[in-house]
Amino acid sequence: MRRIIYLMLIIAIGMSGLLAKDYYLYVAAESEDEVALIRFDGKTAHVEKRIPVGVWPLEIEGPHGLSVSPDGEYWYLSMAHGMPYGHLYKYKTGSDEMVDRVELGLFPATMGISNATGLLYIVNFNLHGSHSESSTVSIVDPDEMIEIDRVETGIMPHGSRLLNNGLKHYSVAMMSGTLYEIDAMSMEVTRTLSTEPKMKSMSNHMSHNMKKMDHSKMNMGSNKKDSMAKMNHKMPPEKPTWVYPHPKDDRLYVVNNGTHNVVEVDVKKWAVTRTFKTDKGPYNCEVTNDGKYLVITYKSAAKTGVWDLSTGKEIAKFNNTRKVTHGVSISPDSRYAFVSVEGVGKEPGAVEVFDLKTLKPVAIAEIGKQAGGIAFWKMAD
Amino acid sequence: MKKLIAIVLITISLSLAQDAPEEKKLQFVFEPDSLSLNIGETGTVNIKLLDGDGNLSNNPFYVYGRPRRTLESSPRISDSTGVATVTIKVYKPGKLSLAVRSISEKRSDRVMGGIPIHVPLPPLDRVAFIDPASKVYVGTSVKYTTEVFDQANLKRTEKVTLSSSNNDVATFDSFENLMVKKSGKTTLTASVEGISESVNIKALKNPVRKMTLSADKDEIRTGDVLVFSAKAMNRSGRTVEDVPVVFSYTGKAEYGIGLPASALINQDGKFVAETAGIFTVMAQSGGYSARKTVKVVPRNVKKKITVVGHGTVKDYNTSDLWVWPGIGKHVGKDFAATGTWGANGEAYFWDVTDPAKMHIIDTVTVDARTVNDVKVSEDGRVAVITREGASNRKNGFVILDIEDPYDVKITYEFNDDMTGGVHNVFIYDNHVYAVNNGRKYDIINIEDPSNPFRVGRYELDTPGHGVHDVWVKDGLAYSSNWADGVHVVDVGGVKFNEANRSKLQFNPFLAMAGQGSPGNPVKLGGMSDPNGHNHAAFPFISQSTDKFYIIAGDEWGNQFGMAGGFHFLDFTDPKNPKETAVYQVPEAGSHNHWVHGDTLLASYYQGGLRIVDISGELMGDIYAQGREIAFFMSSDPDGFMANRPNVWGTMPYKGLIYFSDMNNGLWAIKLEDDAPMGTN
Repeated sequence: MRRIIYLMLIIAIGMSGLLAKDYYLYVAAESEDEVALIRFDGKTAHVEKRIPVGVWPLEIEGPHGLSVSPDGEYWYLSMAHGMPYGHLYKYKTGSDEMVDRVELGLFPATMGISNATGLLYIVNFNLHGSHSESSTVSIVDPDEMIEIDRVETGIMPHGSRLLNNGLKHYSVAMMSGTLYEIDAMSMEVTRTLSTEPKMKSMSNHMSHNMKKMDHSKMNMGSNKKDSMAKMNHKMPPEKPTWVYPHPKDDRLYVVNNGTHNVVEVDVKKWAVTRTFKTDKGPYNCEVTNDGKYLVITYKSAAKTGVWDLSTGKEIAKFNNTRKVTHGVSISPDSRYAFVSVEGVGKEPGAVEVFDLKTLKPVAIAEIGKQAGGIAFWKMAD
Repeated sequence: MKKLIAIVLITISLSLAQDAPEEKKLQFVFEPDSLSLNIGETGTVNIKLLDGDGNLSNNPFYVYGRPRRTLESSPRISDSTGVATVTIKVYKPGKLSLAVRSISEKRSDRVMGGIPIHVPLPPLDRVAFIDPASKVYVGTSVKYTTEVFDQANLKRTEKVTLSSSNNDVATFDSFENLMVKKSGKTTLTASVEGISESVNIKALKNPVRKMTLSADKDEIRTGDVLVFSAKAMNRSGRTVEDVPVVFSYTGKAEYGIGLPASALINQDGKFVAETAGIFTVMAQSGGYSARKTVKVVPRNVKKKITVVGHGTVKDYNTSDLWVWPGIGKHVGKDFAATGTWGANGEAYFWDVTDPAKMHIIDTVTVDARTVNDVKVSEDGRVAVITREGASNRKNGFVILDIEDPYDVKITYEFNDDMTGGVHNVFIYDNHVYAVNNGRKYDIINIEDPSNPFRVGRYELDTPGHGVHDVWVKDGLAYSSNWADGVHVVDVGGVKFNEANRSKLQFNPFLAMAGQGSPGNPVKLGGMSDPNGHNHAAFPFISQSTDKFYIIAGDEWGNQFGMAGGFHFLDFTDPKNPKETAVYQVPEAGSHNHWVHGDTLLASYYQGGLRIVDISGELMGDIYAQGREIAFFMSSDPDGFMANRPNVWGTMPYKGLIYFSDMNNGLWAIKLEDDAPMGTN
């Protein structure tokens, strides 16, 4: 009997060893010019490495967005500030050696890589512009680090994400209050949609089919003579900051930072179908791989919310440990949400880990100032 | 057990066998496999993506041109069978390519291909001599320069062949110098790729029979510019004005161990030596020459530095500084302000009345990570600190009431349309000049500091323009704009008054001022920076020569650390500025600077603080000329980074030199020797 118990114990230990997984993520610290490699072992989040990025020792260059290639071989980083144009950097995962960089537009920010084309689509956020000029989505060949094309969208585009089939790219223009769809293959804007919640949207705005519009007489971005009084941008109140597709590719979730809600967009109908009224200042979001939960970061409220997509109800809300909640990345097994929190001033940024099974916070790792862009790398035994 | 092992082995071998089917790779077929098009022309390429058996792969691919914006290709994607007929239109010359890549999820499955597209440069249109001399003298050498343009009116760099129709009269060497051999006529021809341009010249008998060379002095110091006057005279002793004269020098350094005697002479006869020694300057023309020997002695301007006071900042990196006299109940006291970098949005206020006991008397903390710049108004009532890295990203600048520096109050946070952060500011005549997002500077009226409002903005219109700093003096804004160099902008310049006999009269831009205002900034002049490093600018009326310079500072670095120097741009003729000199410490990086009299105070990051004699005419390599009066390495074991000088900014005040060190705080030093510096 004792032998059997020992045997079972050994098997149990062996099994637990087999089941224990390490989760690896890259997180950018925008005011530190660093990227941290985080390893979460199921209980503790470890800062494995702090990787200095950029080339100017005495200027903050602002690492902002992060993405890992689908095969996990490389990570890509947008560096917001330049003279004046920002860059996209490419690093090898693991060794974290810089491979190459390419100059893009003003304040390159969020990016996504298409599963169909293999190309990288990155928004030129132009956060620091006068908020009157339309900006672009840069399309980059990430193998050769060559910018192939730029597609004009709206004012301050952000939240660059693609359907899982890689065929359509979505971004939102913060100061235009608009969702843009780009055909990943033809590299053209195919549809736009006001991000206003359902009822309001129906009454005030119509969606647009770009192919039916004549833009030839539009004066986009030529308004250099700003009013010298206090700037009055007359921008839509929604200020959308993020868009994320459902794993089934049939729905999109658009975060309206300015009006404190997330709208669900039916991709086929190209219409807002549901509105989730959120806490203050929702900023980023991500849907679990199993399609059950939507995790939303509330930048202004310094909280993170978990929504059940079947009921449309918020089932958990966590207080973040410091102010200015930023991004979220969910492990492929749909178990953990990793949330970056910027902090204020000298306060270190942080990555906070939430267990989506128990709906409890489980770990925190402190990194450099203004933690922002976050990207999942791999799970490893 | 054996059975179990056997089953496992069989299973493994089967699975291995199944894993490796011989998969034939896709391949692209192009028809044609290359193209040659002229600019504006259109071509067509049929592209197929075939499988290993030569059949259509039924795998789409996309198409793009390289480099970006050189060609247009349509469609951008093939049909679903893997076929595309692509129309290409080319816009730029060069070796372009049409690239294709199959669409697949796995990188390893992707197949790439491409064809070269050769777009020849447009045919050349013309070649032209630039101001060619039509009359030359026997025995002289005259340089001829040319320009080549193509049919797109682009300047080209093709090698131009110069020839003379009569080589007995004159012939070219390999460096475009025409060697004039004897009197007569000849036709000079510039030719390149079938086009040519000719000029007729006369070679005249050289009337020169004598050369003289003179200079005002027989002895100068290193760094002094001595003008040599060469005269070529004919048989009767008359000066021949239009004959070319070539200057050169030989020298022997006084340290005599084989090191070179280093100097510079330009073709205007201006000579400056870097090393002490005996130098002989020669002027020659048409086989005649004259020489004059001068002695160069060490400049001997070195002085000792005494540290008067130091306040350590050990928690954060320090940024810029300002020093000013107290007002109201604080008359008679002196104060300083410093910012912080990559930290917690703090600015420190110091009592420096007794610089030996300088101490922080108040701290202002704002929502920011970097307070890069601090400035104080002329009347000492208002300070402005800049914000970068604010948690709400609104940034901008903060106006402070500093009438009582012991109790500094925030008056207003101005962040409208300044999300990109304000890196530098200047306060002049109740206006804040704020560098906004590194793209432009905004001009904000702060007559009522609690109710500021924007009145103007200055932004360049060049592609990819930027601005780093702005400095305002006498109603002229001097901005530093990286590759666009320095710009001088009238923002209410004091209209030049002929009765004003002060040194101010030697700023030529003031003679042009009177057109602009804070609400209507008007550019008066500028000079671009071919290196793209222009980071700071300071106007300088040379007290000893009355020349007007703008001293343009670099900021740049690489993997070896910070580098750069200070460039002396002679704007005495504002329409024709010239860089005449540079001060550059080889192993360190330049940052902010200030000019006091004829002395440059140069913050040099890891090279410490440098104090440089810039009296007299400035020409050549200032660093090599022994003009450095002193340097000070501000090391502090208790600093934020111990024992590692990194000087950020400097400012002279009441006989002392204050400066901030990024790694350790605020310093006050004094030049020990009061003996006046020598001048020309």
